[in-house]
Amino acid sequence: MKSDKIRKYGNRMASKVDKIVEDAPGKRLLLMGNEAIARGAIEAGVGLAASYPGTPSSEILETLALAAPKLGFHAQWSTNEKVAFEVAAGAAITGVRAITSLKNAGLNWVMDMFMTLVYSGVRGGLVIAVADDPDAHYSSNEQDTRFAAQYAEIPCLEPSNVQEAREMARYAFELSEELELPVFLRTVTRISHASGDVELGKIERSERKPVFDKHWKVPWRWNVYGPPGPVEKHRWLHGQMPKIKAIVETLPWNKLDLKEGQSHAVVASGIGASYAMDAIKILGLEESVAFLKVGTPTPMPKKLVERLLKFVKKVVVIEEGEPFIELQMKEMAKDFNPEVEILGRLSGCVPQVGEINIDVASKAIANMTGKNIVADEEMEKTKKEIEKILAPRSSTLCAGCPHLGSYWALRMVLHKAGKVPIVNGDIGCYEQGGYGLAGKEYKPSFSSKSVKYSIEAPYEILDTNYIMGGGIGVMQGQFFAGYMDGSVIAVAGDSTFFHACIPAVINAVYNKAKGVFLVLDNSWTAMTGHQPNPVTGETATGEKAKVLCIEDIVRALGVEVLKVVDSFDLKGMESALEEVLKSDKFAVVVSRGVCTLQAQRLKQYHGKRMIFDKDKCTACKLCVGLGCPAITFSVEEKKAGIDPILCVGCGLCAQVCPVDAIRIGE
Amino acid sequence: MADLNLVIAGVGGQGSILASHIVAMAAIGDGVRVRVGETFGAAMRGGAVASHVRIGKDVYSPLIPRGGAEIVLALEPLEGLRNVVKFLGKGGLLLTNTRPWFPVDVTIGRAKYPKIESIRDSIRKLGGNIVEIDATSLAQQAGNVRTLNVLMLGALAATGKLPVSVETLKQVIRENVPSKTIEVNSRAFDIGINSMNK
Repeated sequence: MKSDKIRKYGNRMASKVDKIVEDAPGKRLLLMGNEAIARGAIEAGVGLAASYPGTPSSEILETLALAAPKLGFHAQWSTNEKVAFEVAAGAAITGVRAITSLKNAGLNWVMDMFMTLVYSGVRGGLVIAVADDPDAHYSSNEQDTRFAAQYAEIPCLEPSNVQEAREMARYAFELSEELELPVFLRTVTRISHASGDVELGKIERSERKPVFDKHWKVPWRWNVYGPPGPVEKHRWLHGQMPKIKAIVETLPWNKLDLKEGQSHAVVASGIGASYAMDAIKILGLEESVAFLKVGTPTPMPKKLVERLLKFVKKVVVIEEGEPFIELQMKEMAKDFNPEVEILGRLSGCVPQVGEINIDVASKAIANMTGKNIVADEEMEKTKKEIEKILAPRSSTLCAGCPHLGSYWALRMVLHKAGKVPIVNGDIGCYEQGGYGLAGKEYKPSFSSKSVKYSIEAPYEILDTNYIMGGGIGVMQGQFFAGYMDGSVIAVAGDSTFFHACIPAVINAVYNKAKGVFLVLDNSWTAMTGHQPNPVTGETATGEKAKVLCIEDIVRALGVEVLKVVDSFDLKGMESALEEVLKSDKFAVVVSRGVCTLQAQRLKQYHGKRMIFDKDKCTACKLCVGLGCPAITFSVEEKKAGIDPILCVGCGLCAQVCPVDAIRIGE
Repeated sequence: MADLNLVIAGVGGQGSILASHIVAMAAIGDGVRVRVGETFGAAMRGGAVASHVRIGKDVYSPLIPRGGAEIVLALEPLEGLRNVVKFLGKGGLLLTNTRPWFPVDVTIGRAKYPKIESIRDSIRKLGGNIVEIDATSLAQQAGNVRTLNVLMLGALAATGKLPVSVETLKQVIRENVPSKTIEVNSRAFDIGINSMNK
């Protein structure tokens, strides 16, 4: 009998983890960057791993959670990044090696502890692995978290490929213990979510008994207020800096390739170094440009920089994110060689926003050397013409997704209510409710009054969206500001509810807000790859767990108007929403329906066959507006249809069709 | 072994990422550097997905430069064309499934799905070659529509342009598909090979 864990991840993931935990130094495996980081942590003998899921970082803990029961360490999905960070810190101050992995935005959640923990430092190695997301593929912003490492005054390691991801993750624990400080490991999407061949190192696990000594090397070490107090602890932190600076000069990931006669140089870090190496090869400049590869963007290897700057006339910096190294290079150039010209994002040589790639690196390096990349203009024109026929593909919710039902009901009710409601979104699969339609042009409006816009698809329903747990607070601001032109609503998923919504619900009750909070409970942290959370019934390592009930919590928080509805029952949801919108109190509606992908994987789902009667279809396109990817529409025939390959038989479209053209079969 | 830059394109849920990992794992056995970059939007399903596979001694980053791919393997024709425009080099090959997966933008009436003739015409204009397979139907015939990705790998192997042997690929597929589907996937792979030999 297979465990749910195996069924969930499939044999592939399970057998891959068997390879990842194998002590086979020298063996080469295809690993994703995040798996390579997990392997590095395993090799270093990690004793505890705690995280909250966040793309593109989730696979680090996902891999560690599968490995944990095999190797005997603790791994957990915590309720949010802050809790995860504190759990990891707690382990590290007892001398146990710990890792917390998080996405760019996740770091914002932990800043309080992050900025304070560095005053005490750690006893066991603590690695903070942060995955940034240039181009905001999966994120609300493009923030460059290397600044946070500098802000907190701790070293940052930045791998340029998956192999280095493993090596650096492993070394980071050692460095952390040597400095008695947490170490920051910064990756980006193109490392975390890229794969490549990785040579494994030796697994060195030793049982470490957690110990506690409250005056370890510094009196009141783990209590920042304890004498001699925070200022002295800040002094201690600064005292570590010379040691850090000396160490980074010796690390193999900081490397200068400088030859006689070279007047131009490329300075590159992280994935930027890989793009730069590809670009230098494509441009045929291997012999003519010097190359400084930076593996520690903070602190920088100053001696290598000095050697380079005293030698060359022009430097181009290729790095992913903000001009972090570029700024430091400019600063250092003042001391070492004020004549040197430094190009990069600040000079306009590299675009100031968005992701870089080989093409961007090639252009920037060619620009520095005065070489021009000649474009085939005829071909570029042809490409532009062809791009016109490329229909865009907006991302969608899945066929059979419970959110399709919830959004349909919400749209219908708000449509009936008229006026200008504000629907405040949150982070999760349902955030697609605000992705809009790629094929539609949205024009800016300069109206001084509230404006109502028609909604064609569920992908246009969310009016605001910022961060985890943000919607429920923003909604209250609209209410307390006195917004009267329509209802105010907030939407959040189950995992987001636990992550960050509970204090905001209490705030609504305490301060007497009015508005509707719709909680979409699909039992899983779905968007990041179906991690379990407090409503799932299992832990990260697959053990059975207590199932927390959102309505019980909501009731306990003092919410007086509460409805629980089935996400697949449109009529039921519509009448519940209609009722609570009329209420003069803060109301919560829990819409429940298991994520269809998980239900199918776990064989909890048995869809029906949908029967489509073409003759009855009047081409009203109501079913199209449901936004289900399995619904088709033929312009030639003026008929809707159902793609039998994509349809999972949830029956939502049958409830939407006003002429019974769609029926539920056997 | 020759270097190879391959894009595997499709719609989220079609298995393009697994297909790219299968090619990469097969190549690793030969001691050559492999990089795989996955490019996809936030959604798990229904979005445009492309995996970049780079095999060779001197590849460093996981993304193929514009016009740098020798082959685009497309599990969905519109996604094939989208990636050809960006990544296929002159004289390159688009090996594509012919079955469209209509974007919601098309269903809603905000965009038009290009006709297969205009896709063919576009490839010609770009100086590329196109080979079409009704792979979705063939995968259904093989016994499971979800073997589409493996079937297309069979077709790709039959071009002789992959720097890995058919046997190695078959072995990697057996090791990496769910155990219950080994047989149907092996069948789909062979159907893919045969579809190119007709």
